Amino acid sequence: MAKLFDGALVIKQLPKLLKYLPTTLYLTLFAMIIGLVVGLLIAVIRIAKVPVLSQLSVAFVSVIRGTPIIVQLYITYFGIPIALKYINYYHGTSYDVNNIPGIVFAMLALGLNQAAFDSETFRSAILSVDKGQIEAARSMGMSGGQVLRRVILPQAATVALLPFGNSVINLLKGTSLAFTCSVVEITAAAKIMAGKSYRYFEAYCSIAIIYWVITFILERVLAGLERKISIPAQPKEVES
Amino acid sequence: MSLVEIRGLSKKFGNNVVLDGVDLDIEKGEVVAVIGPSGTGKSTLLRCLNLLERPEAGTVKFGDKTYSLTSRNKKENLALRQHTEMVFQQFNLFKNRDALSNVMEGLTVVKKLSKEEAREKALEELRKVGMEDRLYHYPQHLSGGQQQRVAIARALALEPELLLMDEPTSALDPELVNEVLLTIRKVASEGNTILLVTHEMSFVKQVANRIIFLENGKVVADGTPKQIFENPESERLQIFLQNINMLESSDNYVI
Repeated sequence: MAKLFDGALVIKQLPKLLKYLPTTLYLTLFAMIIGLVVGLLIAVIRIAKVPVLSQLSVAFVSVIRGTPIIVQLYITYFGIPIALKYINYYHGTSYDVNNIPGIVFAMLALGLNQAAFDSETFRSAILSVDKGQIEAARSMGMSGGQVLRRVILPQAATVALLPFGNSVINLLKGTSLAFTCSVVEITAAAKIMAGKSYRYFEAYCSIAIIYWVITFILERVLAGLERKISIPAQPKEVES
Repeated sequence: MSLVEIRGLSKKFGNNVVLDGVDLDIEKGEVVAVIGPSGTGKSTLLRCLNLLERPEAGTVKFGDKTYSLTSRNKKENLALRQHTEMVFQQFNLFKNRDALSNVMEGLTVVKKLSKEEAREKALEELRKVGMEDRLYHYPQHLSGGQQQRVAIARALALEPELLLMDEPTSALDPELVNEVLLTIRKVASEGNTILLVTHEMSFVKQVANRIIFLENGKVVADGTPKQIFENPESERLQIFLQNINMLESSDNYVI
C-alpha cells in the first residue's frame, strides 16, 4: 500500500513554505496598523458624536460586520479597478491598476475589516474609563487632547489589550484569504505546492504548524505586554 | 479687593434651579464652608467655578481678571481652571499612576515644569500631607484616607489661588475621616484660601472662619461660625441646624 500520510514531508516542506511567511506577516502587520488607527478614529468620532462622520462610521461598521470578509476581499479586488477606470474616464487621468500589487488590496480590505471590529473594542474600552478621573484632569487645566492622551487612552489601552490581541490573532489567520487578491502567502503557497505533489493533507498540516507557532509567539508577546502595563500587585517601597 | 468675586452665578438642571444668582466674595486666606440641605447646589457651586458644570449665567473675578463662566473660549476656560483646583469626594486619583506621578502629572503637563522640578515639588507636597513613605503606591494600594491626602497634595502642588473641596470626607470610613480632616486643617493654617463643602459640622466650627448657608440656590446666611451656630437669624437655618443637632442651646431640641 502506498504511503497514505507522509509525515516526513510535513517537516521537509516547511522551509519552502516559510519563504512566504514574510508576506503573511506583512499583511498582518499593515492590516493591524490600519485597524488600530482607523478603529481608534471611529471610536473617538462615535464617542464625541461628531455630526455626519459619526453616522457614516455607524454605517461603515454595520456594513463591514454584516458581510463576510471573503466577499469584502473580492469587492475590493474587483471594485478598485472599476473605480479607477471611472476616475480615469471622467478626470482624464491614467492610473494603471496593474501598478498596484495585489497585496495592497488585501491589506486594505483586511485592515478596514479590522477597523470595524476594533472600533467597538476601543469604544467600550474608552467608555470604561472612570469619569471622575477625567474630571480631575480637566479641573487641573488639561486640554481635551491632553486628557485623551494622558488619562483616557493609557487606561483604555489596558482594557482593550486582551480583546485586541484576540483580534490580531484572528487577523493573522484571516490573511489566509488573501489568495482572493492573488497574493501568495503561506496558505496559497501550500496549495500550489500540493497541486504539484497531490499531498494536500501534508501541506495543510505544515501550515497549521506554522500558524500555531506564530500565534504562540504572539500570545507570549501579548502576555508580556499585559504584565508590563498592569499595576504591580505589591507597591514598591520608598528606599530610605 | 477680594481675591475671588463671584457674580450672578445661575445654574439649572432642566427646570430645576440649583443656583439662583449667587454672589460671593472670598478674601485671601479665608476658609469658607458651604453648608445646606442636600440638593441645594453646594457641590454645583464648586463645580461651576472650574467649569465641570456649565452655568447659565455668571462671572468670576480673580485679581483683576474677570472670566465669564459661560464663555466657550477654550483658552479662557483653561486659564480660569488654573486659578482653582478641586479635591473630590471620590478622590479621583489617576489609577494607572503611583502617588508621586499623580502629583507630578499636573506640574509637568499643565505647568510645563521639568521632570526634576516637578519631582521636587511633588515630594514637598506629599511630605506635607504625610505621604512621603508611600510615593510608589498606586491608588489601589492606598486606603481612602491616604488617597484623599494624595489628592490634596496633587491639588496644592499646582498652587491654586482657591482650593475647592467637594465633600472631601464623605466617601471615607469613619475611622479614616480624621486623618483627612487633620490634613485639611493643616492646609488651612498654611494660609490657603479654601471653599469647602462638607457635612462635618464640628469640623467646620474648628477650621472655617466663615460659613455660608445655601438654600434653594441662594445664599441665605453668611457669617462666622459663631454667628451661624450660636445666633442663627434665618428661620430656615435654625431648622437645618436643629435637624443636624448642632444648635448650641439644648432648649431648641424638639423630640
